[in-house]
Amino acid sequence: MYELNTLLPEYDIKLPTCMYPMKVLNNSRATVDVKADASNSSNDVDGVSARQEKVLKQLQELKEQMANIRASLGLCQKGAQHTVQTSLRNGGLREEPLHDIVINGHPNFIPYALLALKNAWKDLFTIDVKIFKHSTVPDIGKEASEFEKKLAQVKVDPSKPKVNVSLIWKNCEHTEMISSPTMYVPIYGEVNIIRYLGRVGPEAYRYENSPNCNEIDAVLDICYQLLRCNTSKSRAAMLRALNLRLGKQKYFGGDEISVADIGVHSSLKRLPAITPKDLTPTLTEWRKRVQLVTQL
Amino acid sequence: MVADKENVATASSAVEGEATSKKAAKKQAKEALKAAKKAESKAANMAANGEEAGDAVDVSAGRYGSTGLIQSKEKFEERKFVSVNELSQPEYRDQVVWVRGRVHTSRAKGKQCFLVLRQQSSTVQCILAVNERVSKQMVKFSGNVSKESIIDVQAKVVTVPNKIESCTEQTIELCIEQLFVVSLAKPQLPLQIEDASRPENADDPEGLNIRVNQDTRLDNRILDLRTPANQAIFRLEAGVCRLFRDILTAKGFTEIHTPKIISAASEGGANVFTVSYFKESAYLAQSPQLYKQMAIAADFDKVYTVGAVFRAEDSNTHRHLTEFVGLDLEMAFKYHYHEVLHTIADTFTGIFKGLRDNYSREIEAVNQQFKAEPFKFLEPPLILEFAEGVKMLREAGIETGDEEDLSTPNEKLLGRLVKAKYDTDFYVLDKFPLAIRPFYTMPDPNNPIYSNSYDMFMRGEEIISGAQRIHDPDFLVERAKHHGIDITKIAAYIESFRFGCPPHAGGGIGMERVVMLYLGLDNIRKTSMFPRDPKRLTP
Repeated sequence: MYELNTLLPEYDIKLPTCMYPMKVLNNSRATVDVKADASNSSNDVDGVSARQEKVLKQLQELKEQMANIRASLGLCQKGAQHTVQTSLRNGGLREEPLHDIVINGHPNFIPYALLALKNAWKDLFTIDVKIFKHSTVPDIGKEASEFEKKLAQVKVDPSKPKVNVSLIWKNCEHTEMISSPTMYVPIYGEVNIIRYLGRVGPEAYRYENSPNCNEIDAVLDICYQLLRCNTSKSRAAMLRALNLRLGKQKYFGGDEISVADIGVHSSLKRLPAITPKDLTPTLTEWRKRVQLVTQL
Repeated sequence: MVADKENVATASSAVEGEATSKKAAKKQAKEALKAAKKAESKAANMAANGEEAGDAVDVSAGRYGSTGLIQSKEKFEERKFVSVNELSQPEYRDQVVWVRGRVHTSRAKGKQCFLVLRQQSSTVQCILAVNERVSKQMVKFSGNVSKESIIDVQAKVVTVPNKIESCTEQTIELCIEQLFVVSLAKPQLPLQIEDASRPENADDPEGLNIRVNQDTRLDNRILDLRTPANQAIFRLEAGVCRLFRDILTAKGFTEIHTPKIISAASEGGANVFTVSYFKESAYLAQSPQLYKQMAIAADFDKVYTVGAVFRAEDSNTHRHLTEFVGLDLEMAFKYHYHEVLHTIADTFTGIFKGLRDNYSREIEAVNQQFKAEPFKFLEPPLILEFAEGVKMLREAGIETGDEEDLSTPNEKLLGRLVKAKYDTDFYVLDKFPLAIRPFYTMPDPNNPIYSNSYDMFMRGEEIISGAQRIHDPDFLVERAKHHGIDITKIAAYIESFRFGCPPHAGGGIGMERVVMLYLGLDNIRKTSMFPRDPKRLTP
């Protein structure tokens, strides 16, 4: 590179006495620069890491400063904590937590998965369910009221992370979930709601990063089809497929219980046409095991 | 000369005209008397002989005509009347029955005459054809009965092979045997019932587009009220009142009646009507608020009142009336105003359920003319906090302050958001900011910004606004001072709490507005039988 000639002649600038010299704001950085310059020849890596350390420290200071300001103003400290919490819970995924969601279900097609999840997550996570009856269904029937009672039995623990669910009995074709009214994109089907809840629920049930991810998805897809079977023949085929998937494992997809088990179990519950006779011995055994957790 | 002659001619003819018109009037009067006598004698004859062979000229003489003025002379107890909506029941098939109704339409064609008889919202087709007992004269007479006249017919109920699409009774028709006019309508009607009851579907290019505008309807309200939709609206309105009374009575409420002439304006000085009261002036009550609260202080525990409320607001909008029916309730509670909130919300759900289950015919009839989505609600009703509502609005990109009142567009938008998420047209918004509520509202114990007050919404419009009232006189004075209200003007109000008063809360709704929103109508004048607004004092 060429050196540039100074355009202006060098004047001696006399500072007027009425002015104060300004404090260098980022003095620390300046020193780092100097340091980096100095160590340039010897070790670049050291310099960079030192600088990074410095920057991190500065950030920390800044954060504290912000927190102080917030505290002094008495502003929404909650908001700040919230984001920290979610970023931790989602493993860095920038995802808004589901504050409250609406699930529309027909009283003839009871979303048992909700109760199953609530029971399974009892010690880790709270699902606070409020139940409403839509004007399109005058009467919800015995089974649905039974289901309501069982839901109410599971206590709401305020200390646990929680998601609010409004369950609305409605004359609708599919079980559907609505999370935000502004982007009205309902999620159809019980298994898809299980998938969605699986993401916000406790760590152990988040299956996206698990090696069994595909297996679990496949099992949930079978459940979806199973619920749409009209003939006993097609149902039997689906049960065979499930039996094959289960094999000699303790649960679907391994030794740990997962949302797949929740899905299969609640789907079986919803189909009274499937009697214990239709199930294979392995499935019956499995059902007993899962029942202990889901308590349907 | 010519002009003069003409003048004379016109003058003489005028005199002549006057003379003839006088004569004609006398003649007419005589004739009318004759006709009436004749009709009377005919009716008497018919009653005496049951059936008359008739003279050779008119085979059905005595089987049609005018009943004359019914002065309760005869009883005709043998005539069994059946209402139109019951005619299609199997027990009347091929039976001869009597029906009284209005001529909805009539069409005479040579030897046949088709009449559509209307009774309230039900219509039935009647047919009259020349045969051995029905003369040509009778058919002609029937064809000339003006629309909207009231007639009595004796007819045979006959089932028809093809459905009659234009009537509500589609499976049967009436073969008329006798026909008497009870009360004749003017041949010229200011509006046609058919036009007034035509469905309002703007996107149907082929349909007839004749409408009756709102003012014509209101000027001729009795004709307008005969349309099926209006019949249904006011029956449903009666239902709202009945359900309100029944539900609250079952909950242990007592109905009270409050004075409508009051000495001081109850809510602020503005928008009250002043009336002269002997040597002084008085006001018309804007709300029974004060009296409801006094009833609570007098140990009535739970009270409601149904009565006229007056607002001198000079606003000509689709949802303001200067006089409307207020359904107000007030209730003492034990410890938490949510006891009252749930009572009010449950009352609404009860009303909606009652309407859904018992008034489906009326709702259907209104929908025929004024299309609207059915009213949806949840049970138990959805209760959101004000802060949650604000959050939903912010998520939708609306900037609104924590202590800011909901503007009308925001109110509507929030209604749409709630509808999209929960699919309900009715919801409760709880804990409004204290700053935007009246001085007598109890502040929230946990957060000084908010108050123990609530609004309820139907189809995104506020229908009731209520709160826990301050029942402690000293605290009330403090709050009033805070709001800069002259204590001397509300001394009586404050005094009423000096002798001990239980904690209480309540609210009031406008009946017309509830019916309008329940049915999804666009104008409150449609749900007030004889509406009063700044521009209308008649009929």
